[in-house]
Amino acid sequence: MKKSALIAAVSAIAMASLLAACTGGGGGTDTAKPTNCTNKITKTDAPVVSVWGWYPNMDKVVENFNSGHDDVQVCWTNAGQGGDEYDKFQTAVSAGKGAPDVVMLEADRVANFVIQGALVDISKYGVDAVKDNFSAGAWKDVSVGDAVYAAPVDGGPMAMIYRSDVFAKYGITTPPTTWAEYQEDAQKVKDAGGPLFGDLGANVPAVMMALEIQKGATPFEYDPTSPKDVTVKADDQDSKDVLDYWAGLVKNGLVGTQDQFTPDYISGVVGGDYATYISAAWAPGYLSGAGVGQGDDAGKFAVAPLPQWDAANPVSVNWGGSAFAVTSQAKDPKLAAEVALGIYADPASLKDGWENQIIFPLNQGVLKSDEFINAQVAFFNGQTANKDIYIPAENAYKGFTYSPFQAYYYAQLQEVLTKINGGEISGSDAATELQKALVAYAKDQGFTVKE
Amino acid sequence: MTTTALSGLRTPRKPNRLLPHLFLGALIIYFLVPLWWMVINSSKDTQGLFGGTGGSLWFDQNINYLGNLQDLFTYNSGIYLQWVANSALYAISGGVGATVVAVLAGYGFAKFTFRGRNFTFSLLLGSVMVPLTALVIPTFIMLSQVQLTDTIWAVILPSLLNPFGVYLMRVYVGDAVPDELLDAARVDGASEFRIFLQVALPLMRPAVVTVALLSIVGTWNNFFLPLVMLSDNSLFPVTVGLGHWMSLASANNGGGHSLWSLIIIGSLVSVIPLIIAFLSLQKYWQGGLSLGSLK
Amino acid sequence: MTADAVAVSPRPTTKGRAAPLTPGQRKARRRHSITGWLFITPFAVVFVVFLVAPLLYALYLSLFTKGLATGTTFTLFANYVKAFTDPQFLSGVWFVIRFSIVLIPVQMIVSLAAALVLDAVTTRFARFSRLMIFLPYAVPAVIGALMWGFLYSPSFGPLDQIFSLFGAHAPFLLDKDHVFGGLMNVVTWQWAGYYMIIIYAALQGIDPSLYEAAKIDGANAWQVATRIKIPLVTNALLLILVFALIGTLQFFSEPQVLRPIANGSITPDFTPNIYAYSQAFSYASFNYASAISFSLGIVVFICVYIFLFLTRKRGSFLS
Repeated sequence: MKKSALIAAVSAIAMASLLAACTGGGGGTDTAKPTNCTNKITKTDAPVVSVWGWYPNMDKVVENFNSGHDDVQVCWTNAGQGGDEYDKFQTAVSAGKGAPDVVMLEADRVANFVIQGALVDISKYGVDAVKDNFSAGAWKDVSVGDAVYAAPVDGGPMAMIYRSDVFAKYGITTPPTTWAEYQEDAQKVKDAGGPLFGDLGANVPAVMMALEIQKGATPFEYDPTSPKDVTVKADDQDSKDVLDYWAGLVKNGLVGTQDQFTPDYISGVVGGDYATYISAAWAPGYLSGAGVGQGDDAGKFAVAPLPQWDAANPVSVNWGGSAFAVTSQAKDPKLAAEVALGIYADPASLKDGWENQIIFPLNQGVLKSDEFINAQVAFFNGQTANKDIYIPAENAYKGFTYSPFQAYYYAQLQEVLTKINGGEISGSDAATELQKALVAYAKDQGFTVKE
Repeated sequence: MTTTALSGLRTPRKPNRLLPHLFLGALIIYFLVPLWWMVINSSKDTQGLFGGTGGSLWFDQNINYLGNLQDLFTYNSGIYLQWVANSALYAISGGVGATVVAVLAGYGFAKFTFRGRNFTFSLLLGSVMVPLTALVIPTFIMLSQVQLTDTIWAVILPSLLNPFGVYLMRVYVGDAVPDELLDAARVDGASEFRIFLQVALPLMRPAVVTVALLSIVGTWNNFFLPLVMLSDNSLFPVTVGLGHWMSLASANNGGGHSLWSLIIIGSLVSVIPLIIAFLSLQKYWQGGLSLGSLK
Repeated sequence: MTADAVAVSPRPTTKGRAAPLTPGQRKARRRHSITGWLFITPFAVVFVVFLVAPLLYALYLSLFTKGLATGTTFTLFANYVKAFTDPQFLSGVWFVIRFSIVLIPVQMIVSLAAALVLDAVTTRFARFSRLMIFLPYAVPAVIGALMWGFLYSPSFGPLDQIFSLFGAHAPFLLDKDHVFGGLMNVVTWQWAGYYMIIIYAALQGIDPSLYEAAKIDGANAWQVATRIKIPLVTNALLLILVFALIGTLQFFSEPQVLRPIANGSITPDFTPNIYAYSQAFSYASFNYASAISFSLGIVVFICVYIFLFLTRKRGSFLS
């Protein structure tokens, strides 16, 4: 017994280390091509560029790119949507290892990573050739001075998605155009025993930032050409007003307090628990991926412009929309830049994206095409949503200024929104608390802070 | 083994068995409900999961085990199987490695006197409770400087550290391996290593099994260490892989394939090996697990 | 198996203090010493590389500060001053302390009660339940948390179905007011069975003649349990205490997994581990994260020694 047990133990160790050595050898050969692609690469001779991205139709996009290129192939991984991917990328940046060659980012995160030297300036790698494909504003969002840090793909003009069946049932004939009307209609639906009118999701702080900016707030002033100076005004009167407004809706039970995108929230949207959904142009694609607007739900959604504070002077705001950036860890930055600029740029991918409402394309060729303008959107029951709502919103969007510590800002904003949802704090107090935390953090990080 | 002989003594004279059995029944229900939920819901598709008939603790109209299994094994060109294989690799090499290290050290501490022994052992005692999670972040930075993060070594090597295992071994060896036996072998001219292998090790078997079990289960279940160390999907163990799917799914499945069904059946499949191992190896672990309470 | 694991009688390992050593004996002793070190070496290497070095390295890193807008500067203990005045870090520490104080007794009571019942009842059903209660130990914490997350769900979990029978709404066990209990339940579910087995095995190792004696003295079952059984499994209970403390100090997986569905009640500063993780990997503040890690490690180290010192006379568990 002793012998056999011993032999068993020894051979188990030997086998394990052998196994480990084999796998290690396979993964450890760093110069070799990445092995963890979600897609299959058929042209095995071409050099490979690794890409992280989360667009729902990424598989098709990669397929399109790879079949159209013989000089380079994309190896794609979905490393998470938004925050999860940024955390992973941040980890890899800190480790100096493990980042992909090309990474999908929202415009609001560009400054955050540029200041850490994590992204490569691609202006000399063929940006000029595609310069005219995008508006000056789209380039501005991904640039610092003359340096270009990402290739824009889509934008997120915001609007109000609503359930036409709920509106009809409670006698709301025209969708609210101002936030005051939004509140009145919400009260009306509630008094009639109807569902919640909307939702204040604490886990989507970018929405609240956009809504504050809509009223005139400027949470940050930051010019990346003088990277150590930042102005933080998260507690200006406009921010306070907007937070107080939403705190009021929560307090009166007019809107829900559920985090968004979770199974509970989605099942609520499917079940008609929310009359409206304040969101961006790409939202329908993500909603239908989760089963919203299908089956019994089909054709019940419609979209209207985002309610305004001052109907006479409408302001357009943006949530999300992404770009592809080349990371400093890219082995061949030029090749990576070719991928970043090309991966979601071919007509087939773009068309698949906007037809399924996964993206609101920033490519001028698509934006101005009749096909896009006049498209009757199935999710919105045939409404010409692009022409009526999203294109005007996009055209009126003036751009935001983001902070170099956007990750921290969102985390803090999420925390105060959670407190508002819990009824622990008023909107104004939330803004004050947020401001205090941000200023302390920015100083701690060595910024010269103006308030 | 002693229980049958004692049962007459242990049961009260008027056997009031209803109460204890009710208590046990309640415990079983409590401990099994989540597992029951997992087994039932592995049969559902997304629709059934979030709005099916029969509620969350009973089957939907569609019973779809095979379809879900097929999805699980083919999604992302079968990355799930890769994750299970990785988990096995980490658990076996990390767990067995940690056991070997602990067995040697425990024996050394118990049976040899050498300079620095007491100091070393008291260092070890202090470290028994240091949360390994506190070590993960500095270890990550250290390993990143020698370019070892995002490799299997980043998971396996830190798993070799198991101060508690050493402590258990030392306590056990001190009691279970008589010095006289070792001295007798020495007189016979056996080498120290042979004495360890042939005289001491067989006597240490229960403790070895226990330490091995604790380390293997610990490594198999580990989440924080691989989560931090790895960014390459194909190196994930199944815990991190499922966690990754969960965060994708909580973010609306990335809009694509609904992952919840895969996550649930993936969880079920991944716990089956351990459950089978525990059920079939009962007689080993039931004794072994109590070791630390020796004396 | 059960018996020989537990019932090994303590054997004093006295070594007679010998008179002056002959040169040959001295040589043998030296060889003995070298062999001893050889057995320790693998562990010593692992210990130095993966415990001592990370802790010292964390200490080193924690003495510096690197801001997003600045280079790295030497700031001595500034990170510690910051940590111990940082309400977010302190609230995490406070949570873990409260959690331990409530969780550990609950786990111990549940597992002790189960073990005592299982020790007293020897039917087939009891043996079956012993296995079933233990099963959650085989389930990784990540998966345990996932399952409970679903069970807690207000939209499609069973709780709401049950409550609605009485015309009420189930509380969401992960919201701010209930997350403490919600997490406690997950952890208890995961570990109580394992602890139960430890106690059960210790109970099985008690010499049956003690019960006989008690019976002759007219003790009832309750008295046997409280006067004989529980005192005799004190060491098993101490072991569980150590396990449970280690577990709560490492608390990370469950809250991390439940975070996306907890509706904001599990914050990035929820426990010190999660806080250090967020600092390091969301905000790239490795120096500050190192200070937190080092503080945790060293505080535990010191606490263990205090514990050892306080209990050293009683010849207790860790001696």
